Amino acid sequence: MLYPWRGEFTVGSIDSQIAIDTLSSKLDFPPESVAIWGQHKTENLGIEKIVANVVSNPNIRYLLLCGQEVRGHRSGQSLKSLHANGIDPEGRIIGATGAVPYIENIPPEAVARFREQVELIDMIGQTDEATLQKKIAELSSVRKEPFGEPMVMEFAEREKSVQMKSLSGKVSLHKDLLVDPYLEIGDMKMEAQT
Amino acid sequence: MMSFSKEQRIVELGDVKFGGQPGELPTVLFGTAFYGKKYANPDAATLEEVRAAIRSQEALSGMTGNPSIVDIFLGDEESMTARIELVLSEIPAKRPFSADVPESEIRMAVLKHAHEIGISERLILNSFNLAAEAEELEALKDNPPGCAILLGYNPRDFSVDGRIEMLESGAGYLDKGLLQFAKEFGIDNILLDAGATPFDHSAAETLRAIPVMKNRWGLPVGCAIHNTVESWLWMKQYRKEHKPEYLTCDAGSNALPVMLGADFCVYGPIRNAGTVFPFVAMVDKFVGEGAEDYFGVAQGEEHPRRKLG
Repeated sequence: MLYPWRGEFTVGSIDSQIAIDTLSSKLDFPPESVAIWGQHKTENLGIEKIVANVVSNPNIRYLLLCGQEVRGHRSGQSLKSLHANGIDPEGRIIGATGAVPYIENIPPEAVARFREQVELIDMIGQTDEATLQKKIAELSSVRKEPFGEPMVMEFAEREKSVQMKSLSGKVSLHKDLLVDPYLEIGDMKMEAQT
Repeated sequence: MMSFSKEQRIVELGDVKFGGQPGELPTVLFGTAFYGKKYANPDAATLEEVRAAIRSQEALSGMTGNPSIVDIFLGDEESMTARIELVLSEIPAKRPFSADVPESEIRMAVLKHAHEIGISERLILNSFNLAAEAEELEALKDNPPGCAILLGYNPRDFSVDGRIEMLESGAGYLDKGLLQFAKEFGIDNILLDAGATPFDHSAAETLRAIPVMKNRWGLPVGCAIHNTVESWLWMKQYRKEHKPEYLTCDAGSNALPVMLGADFCVYGPIRNAGTVFPFVAMVDKFVGEGAEDYFGVAQGEEHPRRKLG
């Protein structure tokens, strides 16, 4: 199982059904009670990692959103919108007010599963650890079944190009070294041979 | 170290010039003020710190010759007027200022406010990007800023071509490219931002895009490459115990775009000006000397190459 995804977070108990997004606040929790927690800065790549982590661990059934909102990015509001509304055909999170709220690197199926798998608990603005721990205890007492099998995905592999294209003009680095945008790899080899 | 066959436009805004061939003009440095929680409800001492940082950036600019811009972070409408007023009271009368506004609604408010108080010509909008919807496009048309930074960030394609597509065609997010919209809105002064992305998200394509964009459009190009360092996972841990080393990487990252032809750097918190200005001035000296030695591109007396003997 590919879990957890690379990111800035702390992993607690894999059996816990609670994940916590602390937004811009640095908060700590008992590792035996929480599956994974950490800060979350961006309304696009950051949310993609949270979704990937949630769907790859079917034990996670609650996502607790707390801590101070990320100014400008509105990452908490964007995550809430994703959970409530999903994405439009262009990948934009419906209803998100963050700067660039687009989900582009994970498949729509992962978003759909995320929305179904977890119940989102909105405590944005709450940073009091005692209050949050009370909530964790409350959620831990309401046991839910794991959400089927883990959904494992690779981030979308981007198409790699082997040549620069669609450019005009040349960039001169030295009289013997011209970056020619029209030069193809094959031609470069030919030039090297002559 | 390099020269473009494409003519390079120089954008002149008040007393600041951007662009030209590499080494022709000093790199313009944008330091961001008011970013962070401590500025949400600032007390008098915090505001004085901001003023001091702006003055310090201005002094470093005067010393090195690298023009400075204050980039004002605006995360809500309530603090907008006070922040802009504070900055305008500290910078020279002809100096433009930049508004770093992540949210569309606040961007519209800034455009309107700048128009109402007659400072649109000094406003650099940071940034005009794919998130602009119909209402914001209308606001840009009604109250165009003196200058706009067009962001080449394309969440679907982080390659150089993807970034170019955002500027040229809207990449499917907008009906037209950001460049075409800017032209239609009468925004004559354009700066292109290559759109820094994190490591493992084609970070190097940010740098590659710089000479490619300059070569394609002949417009001033830059980026906020410090964001790549800021989001570097390993560094997030390391910096906790090694702040000076982090600041070295943070400032040093600005050498990379400048070596590839960048005309401006958005270098992050303005409090870091003390590290960034001498560093970029040094890189400008290398680039300027290389441009004159090989391509005959001379620098004025205000260039770090001439000012810092």
